[in-house]
Amino acid sequence: MNQEMWDLFIESFWKLIIPGLKMTIPLTVTAFFFAMIIAVLVAMVQYANVPVLKQISRFYIWIIRGTPLLVQLLIGFYGLNNIGIHINAFPAAVLIFSLNEGAYCAETMRAALEAVPSGQMEAGYCVGMNYAQIMWHIVLPQAFRTAFPPLSNSLIGMVKDTSLAANITYAEMLYAAQRIVGRTYKFMLIYCEVALIYLMFSTVLTWVQRYGEKRLNAYGGNKG
Amino acid sequence: MSMLEIRNIHKAFDQNEILKGVSITVEKGDVVAILGPSGSGKTTLLRCINYLEKADQGELIFDGRSYDLANTPKKDIAAIRMKTGFVFQNYNLFKNKTALENVTIGLTSVRKIPASEAKKIGLKMLERVGMLARADHFPAQLSGGQQQRVAIARALAYDPEIIYFDEPTSALDPELIGEVLGVMRALAEEGMTMIVVTHEMDFARNVSSHVIFMEDGVIVEEGTSKEIFENPKKERTREFLRLEENRRNVQ
Ligand SMILES: Nc1ncnc2c1ncn2[C@@H]1O[C@H](COP(=O)(O)OP(=O)(O)O)[C@@H](O)[C@H]1O
Ligand SMILES: [Mg+2]
Repeated sequence: MNQEMWDLFIESFWKLIIPGLKMTIPLTVTAFFFAMIIAVLVAMVQYANVPVLKQISRFYIWIIRGTPLLVQLLIGFYGLNNIGIHINAFPAAVLIFSLNEGAYCAETMRAALEAVPSGQMEAGYCVGMNYAQIMWHIVLPQAFRTAFPPLSNSLIGMVKDTSLAANITYAEMLYAAQRIVGRTYKFMLIYCEVALIYLMFSTVLTWVQRYGEKRLNAYGGNKG
Repeated sequence: MSMLEIRNIHKAFDQNEILKGVSITVEKGDVVAILGPSGSGKTTLLRCINYLEKADQGELIFDGRSYDLANTPKKDIAAIRMKTGFVFQNYNLFKNKTALENVTIGLTSVRKIPASEAKKIGLKMLERVGMLARADHFPAQLSGGQQQRVAIARALAYDPEIIYFDEPTSALDPELIGEVLGVMRALAEEGMTMIVVTHEMDFARNVSSHVIFMEDGVIVEEGTSKEIFENPKKERTREFLRLEENRRNVQ
């Protein structure tokens, strides 16, 4: 790599990492937070067999899982704009990523809830707890422990998927990279550099995931 | 008046009648052993009287009140459960809670007893079953016998009037059975009222005050443990006891 390329690399690094920290991370964190709320609610509605809400949940999951995320983003931003609902790129991205991730994580949560043995619920009833208390103290914590690894994977996947938000003018990392490329035509250098930064982000999250799993296992896991 | 009476309980799964009119009377301080071959409906009986399963018909008289087992209001069910303990064959300890928390959670979350006081009660119960040293262990870190003793402590925590045991030692390795039976024997000696479904003939013979032999959803024979073990009247009872005796000798 010659001096000129190296200078561009260094200069671009800051131009990429700053949108990474100011745009990619906030979008990921916010959308994942709402996705978790959606996931738990949608999973519980199915687990508890709540009529109507259960059918709505299945319909929602069917739609989200059967259509591409990019198309959902385009509908959520340009499509809504078209029919007179003007929302900025950030809220549009949060909305679509939450709904999308929420559907996938709901399935993860539902499987984890169903994996909790029915004896846990029965033992809860026998000590006098009601349904809500058992869910809160016993079933959800156990399900969450089971779901932790796959949910962490979803989060890591989402950090990378936020690059799609470039398509709806959300100025995250890939968007920044495209602007640099448009000016310099150094496709290889800049796209590899942005890939490197995504790799950094996912690696840190993988460490956090491993640490979390270790902590959870230290408390006896779900065995026994 | 009896402490607990079950009258004419019926329960079918699909078209299959599992309980065909069972009636049981339990006096305060009784230890009632329920014997019978696998599939005779013993578990279903205990589950029905604690409403884990809904009976099709039957009456429960408990604490001076009568309840329709097929149709008891939710709040009555909760009240009945607070006065009865249940010990499962496979322990069913809360896996995400320590031994101590398993014992205290019913006190703090249901009875709203302050945490510090609940802890005191919890430790006392763990001590009663010889599990004080493992108070901070999670179920996965305990042996089957230890888990079952914690489960007994959990059932004891809120001072129940009666405890139901569903084959509490059947899932245990043979060398761990004694520690659980020891705890149950101590409870019996303290005067705890218990219904115990069991295959432990020595326990039924020596600890229980009353023995019920069940088969195919009906009570074949019942009496004091002396009557049943020394002088069973029904041929079917004699045969069952002989088989159980052989089984034990093989082991
Ligand atoms: N939830 C259920 N659904 C269908 N059949 C059941 C259910 N629970 C128990 N049974 C049937 O009821 C019969 C009696 O079971 P159970 O009460 O467990 O007997 P025991 O405890 O005496 O071995 C068995 O044939 C069993 O298959
Ligand atoms: Mg049974």
